[in-house]
Amino acid sequence: MMREIVLPGDLLEEKPVRMENAFVENNKTYAKVLGMYDKEHSSLIALEGVYQPRIDDVVVGIISEVKNKVYEVDLAFFGRCLLIAGKYDRETYKQGDVVEAVIKNIEDRKTIILTDARPLSGGTILQVKPTKIPRIIGKGSTMIRQISDLAKCHVVVGKNGTVWMRGGNVALATEAILTIEREAHLSGLTEKIKRMLEEQKGN
Amino acid sequence: MGGSAANKPKLIIDGKRVDGRSFGQMRQIKITASVLKNADGSAFIEWGNNKILAAVYGPKEATPKHLSDPMKAIIKCRYMMAPFSSLADHGRTGPNRRATEISKVIKEVFENCVVLTEYPGSQIEVYIEILQGDGGTRAAGLTAAAVAMASAGIQMKDIPYAVSVGRIDEHLAIDFNMIEDNYSDSDMPIAISPRNNDIVLLQMDGGLTKEQFMRSIKMAIDAGKTITDLQKRALREVYAKDEINGE
Repeated sequence: MMREIVLPGDLLEEKPVRMENAFVENNKTYAKVLGMYDKEHSSLIALEGVYQPRIDDVVVGIISEVKNKVYEVDLAFFGRCLLIAGKYDRETYKQGDVVEAVIKNIEDRKTIILTDARPLSGGTILQVKPTKIPRIIGKGSTMIRQISDLAKCHVVVGKNGTVWMRGGNVALATEAILTIEREAHLSGLTEKIKRMLEEQKGN
Repeated sequence: MGGSAANKPKLIIDGKRVDGRSFGQMRQIKITASVLKNADGSAFIEWGNNKILAAVYGPKEATPKHLSDPMKAIIKCRYMMAPFSSLADHGRTGPNRRATEISKVIKEVFENCVVLTEYPGSQIEVYIEILQGDGGTRAAGLTAAAVAMASAGIQMKDIPYAVSVGRIDEHLAIDFNMIEDNYSDSDMPIAISPRNNDIVLLQMDGGLTKEQFMRSIKMAIDAGKTITDLQKRALREVYAKDEINGE
């Protein structure tokens, strides 16, 4: 697996290729962000940057405003985010509540509509860089399952970079997540985190 | 820039410039990316005696609301010289005509490089703080801000750089320092997008002939190869450094 760091304006391919975080000009493909480029799989993963919402993403947010049955949710995103309570939703929220929800729709690329919300009561929240979330979740959720198993902690990871934790050893889970955030571009992380968690647990 | 001809110092001594450089030689440049933890992206540049800090925040919700554009991001730029930044004869600091003008032209450079349509309704803030100034601060500030912008992960089509080219008598020279800047016959800061050598900023004091102008542009593009290289190396170093310490 050959991955290299590319920078905005770097030439990726001499031919036009449709790729996320890249653009085509004069039949050539260039990078648009600072990221890791995998030539084999034609993928460019951004290393920094704000949350780019996708439909069906699971996100964690804080209710920031309540208007009748419409809730405004703070997702650490530059646009607006609304949770509209349906006819059969029993749950009501107040300002400051933490919710886990799924993105149902994105209007004009800047208004997010949420659905399937459920409250996350108690616990602590942690904000990390949204670009590091895929590493924190891991392939097939291996990484996050490992953290919640070893720290005996209930963890919910929002794609927007907000992580909610409750119970068990929250401090240990936080440390593991921050380590992943710091070293997301390195390989062999799952093993490293496992070692780290087991060592710390022994102490 | 505004130095009176009466007390003009000798700018060329024995075929060399006041600080001993040749006409096509730039000052030493050192760029460090991601120096501020609180900012989304940042860079520190030491360009000769210039010391400049650049920080980028965003994209975030545009405020005040009426300035936001529902189709694309807006860019706010603040270029400012620190009160202790400059030689005594440079005058007072603060939001003056000069700082406002430089903020505006740098803002326009980024409006041409950033993919604004990716972030509708948002704003991106660029802060350039001159800690120590010694001529050519707008060029150095822009070069640093471009690195900060890339390190913030903002989608852009290129990393622009800037450099000044000017004329002392009949000699064209690159990268003026403060004395040359004040007393030269012509001074022209240029910002270039290196991917296709598009000129994104061009200002000029004094005069150049058409032939001198074309040669100036060529000098800027040649010097730009070094600057682009330093910018990219600074950005790569942030991750390469971790690679060594990580294991």
